[in-house]
Amino acid sequence: MSTDLVKESSADRAVRFERDALAFTDQLYAAALRYTKNPHDAKDLVQDTYLKAFASFHQFEPGTNLRAWLFRVLTTTFINTYRKDQRRPQISAGEVEDWQLADAASHTSDQGKSAEVEALENLPDSDIKRALQEIPEEFRIAVYLADVEGFSYKEIADIVGVPAGTVMSRLHRGRKQLRERLTEYAKELGYTTEKSSGVKP
Amino acid sequence: MSFRIFGSNGFDANGLGRNDLACNEVLNSFVLLIDGQMEQPEIALVEVHIAACPACEAELAHEQAVRQLMQETLRRSCNEKAPEDLHDAIYRQIHAQMAGTFTEVVTQYSMTEISIEIDEFGQVEHREVTIEHTEEIRFLDPNDGSNGQGR
Repeated sequence: MSTDLVKESSADRAVRFERDALAFTDQLYAAALRYTKNPHDAKDLVQDTYLKAFASFHQFEPGTNLRAWLFRVLTTTFINTYRKDQRRPQISAGEVEDWQLADAASHTSDQGKSAEVEALENLPDSDIKRALQEIPEEFRIAVYLADVEGFSYKEIADIVGVPAGTVMSRLHRGRKQLRERLTEYAKELGYTTEKSSGVKP
Repeated sequence: MSFRIFGSNGFDANGLGRNDLACNEVLNSFVLLIDGQMEQPEIALVEVHIAACPACEAELAHEQAVRQLMQETLRRSCNEKAPEDLHDAIYRQIHAQMAGTFTEVVTQYSMTEISIEIDEFGQVEHREVTIEHTEEIRFLDPNDGSNGQGR
């Protein structure tokens, strides 16, 4: 880094914040909608996030990932202030750090495979969002950060403030629940055909 | 980062290399393989198994397809734009904070030009007065010790 950045004045830093950080408003808002589940709280959350980010922008190391840093501020702010029921027992309390989860893995049938693909190809956006809303918060955040924002396990671990093993476990379970729900919706709506492929494994 | 995948790092209790992973071990490892979180020699162990097991091979292809489809579907669904009033509120809020944090300094520059021409009889022939005035507002942070002129 050049020495100019070290000697940067507050005014210059404010200009840099405005130029670089405000570009992420849409992305943060879409994430906030998934976190809070309603537009009003999502707006408040994003506004709070920018207020906090601006106040601590001097701690942000130029040249590192600003998007990941802003998502960390967003997620921390949400967890600390917007969680509706603070007394709800946290999944993490009894969370198995081991990624290998109790459910035994087995081969799925060809019908199961095609039903899943059909569900994903046919369901409207509103159902996708509904399914995401219905999975537990910790899982939802992990899945969103990984599959929508494309963050790595390590980045998600930093953003959420949990070990990478926990991220892995939440992602695995979250994706599984999401898939089950989507397949279920598709069946209800008649998007999938229960046709027999005639091929048995 | 690497996760312990196969109970004994791919080697059995006798220290013999394993190349006989069970299907459920292989299936459980797919999530790490797809997420790029698996390293050698474990990747090789999985590949050896898959080469000989069409059911696991089909399962991996399906998992990869579903992962990609899921990501595309989620990205398409979750792409709301922030409302205009949110953009405005954030902008106003940051500017209000800037004003509260920094000391405002007003510097004035003024320049006056006077020219008078007098002819040979001592009569004033031409007179011109120009006054220019510039006002500059800079933000100063009293804590960072700079003089506000920045660069």
